[in-house]
Amino acid sequence: MKASKLWYAVFTLPLMLIFLSVVVIPFLIGIGYTFVSWDGMAKHAAEFVGIRNYIDVFSDDRFLQAEIRTVIFTIFSVVAINLLGLTFAIIVTTNLRTRNIARTMLLMPYLIGGLILGYIWKSIFSEFFISINWGNWLTDAHKAMAAMIIVTCWQMAGYVMIIYITGLMAIPDDVIEAAGVDGAGFLQTLFKIRFPLLMPSFTISLFLTLSNCFKVYDVNLSLTGSGPGNQSEMFSMNIVSEIFSLNNFGYGQAKAIIFFAIVACITLVQVTITRKREVEL
Amino acid sequence: MTKDLKRKIASIAADLALMVFCLLYLFPIYLIVTNSFKSRAEMYDNMVALPKVLSFQYYASALEKVNFAVSFRNSLMLTVFSILAIVILTSMTAWMITRQKNKLSTAIYNLLIATMLIPFQTLMMPLMQEMSIIQRNTGIRMLDTIPGLIYMYIGFGAGMGVFLYSGFVNSIPVSLEEAARIDGCNAWSTYWKIVFPNMKPTTVTVVILDVIWIWNDYLLPSLTLKSKVNRTVPLATAQFFGQYTISWNEAMAALVVTIIPVLIFYLAGQKYIVKGVAAGAVKG
Amino acid sequence: MKKLAKLGTAMLSVVTVAAMLAGCSKEAPAADDNAAANTQDAAEVAAADKFVLFQSKTEIMGELNKLAEAYKEEKGVEIEVWETTGDSYFTDLKTNLSNGTGPALFSLAPGSESREMADYLEDIGSLEVAGKISDKLLDTVDGKVVGIPYTVEGFGVVYNADLYDPSKVTDTDAFISFLQDQKAAGVNGFGLSQEDYFLIAHILNTPFAVQADPDQYLADVLAGNARFADNDAFKDFARVMEAIRDNCTNPMDIAYDGNCGDFATGKSAAVHQGNWCYSMFADYDVAFDMAIAPLPIQGNDKVSVSVPTSWYVNVDADPAQKKAAMDFLDWLYGSETGVDYLMNKFGFIPVVDGMKSEQLDPLSQSVADTVAAGKTMPWVMSNWPAGLITNELAPITAQFFTSDMTGDELLDQLNDAFVNAAK
Repeated sequence: MKASKLWYAVFTLPLMLIFLSVVVIPFLIGIGYTFVSWDGMAKHAAEFVGIRNYIDVFSDDRFLQAEIRTVIFTIFSVVAINLLGLTFAIIVTTNLRTRNIARTMLLMPYLIGGLILGYIWKSIFSEFFISINWGNWLTDAHKAMAAMIIVTCWQMAGYVMIIYITGLMAIPDDVIEAAGVDGAGFLQTLFKIRFPLLMPSFTISLFLTLSNCFKVYDVNLSLTGSGPGNQSEMFSMNIVSEIFSLNNFGYGQAKAIIFFAIVACITLVQVTITRKREVEL
Repeated sequence: MTKDLKRKIASIAADLALMVFCLLYLFPIYLIVTNSFKSRAEMYDNMVALPKVLSFQYYASALEKVNFAVSFRNSLMLTVFSILAIVILTSMTAWMITRQKNKLSTAIYNLLIATMLIPFQTLMMPLMQEMSIIQRNTGIRMLDTIPGLIYMYIGFGAGMGVFLYSGFVNSIPVSLEEAARIDGCNAWSTYWKIVFPNMKPTTVTVVILDVIWIWNDYLLPSLTLKSKVNRTVPLATAQFFGQYTISWNEAMAALVVTIIPVLIFYLAGQKYIVKGVAAGAVKG
Repeated sequence: MKKLAKLGTAMLSVVTVAAMLAGCSKEAPAADDNAAANTQDAAEVAAADKFVLFQSKTEIMGELNKLAEAYKEEKGVEIEVWETTGDSYFTDLKTNLSNGTGPALFSLAPGSESREMADYLEDIGSLEVAGKISDKLLDTVDGKVVGIPYTVEGFGVVYNADLYDPSKVTDTDAFISFLQDQKAAGVNGFGLSQEDYFLIAHILNTPFAVQADPDQYLADVLAGNARFADNDAFKDFARVMEAIRDNCTNPMDIAYDGNCGDFATGKSAAVHQGNWCYSMFADYDVAFDMAIAPLPIQGNDKVSVSVPTSWYVNVDADPAQKKAAMDFLDWLYGSETGVDYLMNKFGFIPVVDGMKSEQLDPLSQSVADTVAAGKTMPWVMSNWPAGLITNELAPITAQFFTSDMTGDELLDQLNDAFVNAAK
């Protein structure tokens, strides 16, 4: 029994110590800041304001709207990304001759990532769309949101494709062959055999896309710049401008904590549910 | 028409359709590549057209400005060592907390994945404060050093690594480990001899996703790596992004050069996913 | 199980201790051991052989790196130039200054930015270069000279001389009818673009700057004692904005690149820009003369000219580094090599008294002429509350250009944004 405790420590402690010092402690310090009114500069006095920052959040219309918008954006994006990514994964694990090259091409958007793709897409949705008479999508609140979702899907589909490919590859060939021998068609095998066995991949992909979409920032900044008129501003953008542009460090942190609490609850529930399904199967 | 011929035509048609789709899908990337050859005036004139002349002048000037050799070496070191550490540490932790089901394990697991939801921007100021305090009080250089940044990447990569690995550990039969233990292996050797090799597909996934993340990451390195000798590729190319305008051709040229190594790496890595599985390493 | 619980407790206590440790020393970082050293007279300290420079103007980055090499060769002092993107500079600077890891020499926009950071700025009034620059251009906070200007920049109506004659367009009505005529002729009369400053900040500066006492007027607006709607210059501004919406390319459909491209290719008769945009025309064959004219709201005949960016020395930096940074500033504005870089490589309009540049591009020349003729007005926008432009003014203006909001409504909303920001 003693040895096993020791091994437990050997296996988990190094990572956990680093993790605590890099993520958890800054997070706790960050929580500390939510009780003060401060602009983030060490020399400027931080005034203790108790839980006022938390109370103010609930009367901050711009933030509440950004939050609702982020949730809507996330729901649409997560569904679309996973559908697209799974479809890609299925296609590139067939025996098509072009599967390998296709796999690389589909991952390319994620490979590049970052701001510059947002800027490129911005030119596509504005200048290019105007030139083909589709109108500027980024000056319309709804279309700007649609553009955000499209670009996010386009970037992330390759990412979840990788995870689904790993999952599909892990399904032993003999299981599929056996199904084939039993006379199951492609779709039947897909829904009856492969999807249930893919449950772990679903858990992982859903969670990763969920957390990435909730935190979306780069695309927001470079594609729509939260425009038109802050009508595509997402949660991360909102707190960043609160902290670094409006200099309300404590208040911005309070917003972050509240949103974190909400999102953490949702995703933990999601992970628990999907994990349960894995066990049942 | 014979059945064979029909099948052949169908498969060629499918290949063709897939390629057409992929090419359309990569339209924005086509724009990046073509515009890396155009002057500002030519890009303004027509962003979509092919460049009039194929001149590598913007590649040359971009490479000169970013001091590519140094930044490339830094990025490479940072990426390789961060990922090595992430893979080793997260897989070990994931295996342990998945096999030893208890309250602590659940707590660790939940803590790790819950923190993946924190936007980095809310952590960066406290993180920099903490690191400079550590640096001041212990003399260990956490800021403006590559090892210091690797340390931070381990922390930020912990969540996803453990999450991916623990999802996979469940599908490795415990019987293998028990057999090893009966043969006299302790946890350490059981892990390295039996478990870790069996997790190869997940390792490849973790490596691919982390390579892309760390290689391209801008914000975290921009806060810590300041000296010219420590600059990574994304930092070195930041100068093309002004507040109001971007030096498009140079920025795109630098981007094209930057992703080639990742692309090569991915091409090498993806074969491995297939192999690892085809070798029968994993049976559910 | 018990052992595990113990392990858990141990780990928790590690966190707590570490958090407390971080908490305890939190208020200290900037004020600790540096503070004592800082009180020493900087002149007594020998200059370091290396210092850190961080600045926001990415356009000069390539030349600045070469300047650093030249300085190393000439003076033996190494300059470590940090890099950034234009967007993340200020965030990055604040994070580092706040943690006591800031650069020795850095740039800020004089005005609300430098006032906000006042505690971090060294008094550099004793520098040789400070004595050679007009007081108007030096940045002074709380009676101390803290900022040495990079250059001056001016913005207004950047016009194509073939299409726009500033001697004929001298008031609001003439300007509006010019826009209408150009539309009839199939030319874009006046281009704004979607970036925050190019969309609203610069153009809104004009009605502020034409007030008898711009700073007092701003104070009155912030206090709610003056309303845009009651002011003739702002009423004219609203009419101009409506005329732009009615007659010109929608600014929301066009970015800075496109706006400059339209001008360079003769599709726009004029754009609301500054001398900085000349570099955007480098790749084009521009076949016409251009200059900067006043935006003639209320008969205004002045161009908005001011210092966009200044150099500041970090008060918390190591004294030897501070000394090195100050020596560098004197060298930059006083030595042959330094001045050569300022005038010819960076293309700056001279700020040091008596200094002339032969190398100015047409727009910078136009600004320099305006300065010489005394036809300049201030950048009141530098004193607007922090974050106001991006967070409030730009979104409101975007709304204006994509809806049928009236000019009066625009004025009201902009006005409210000022009042709210001051709260």
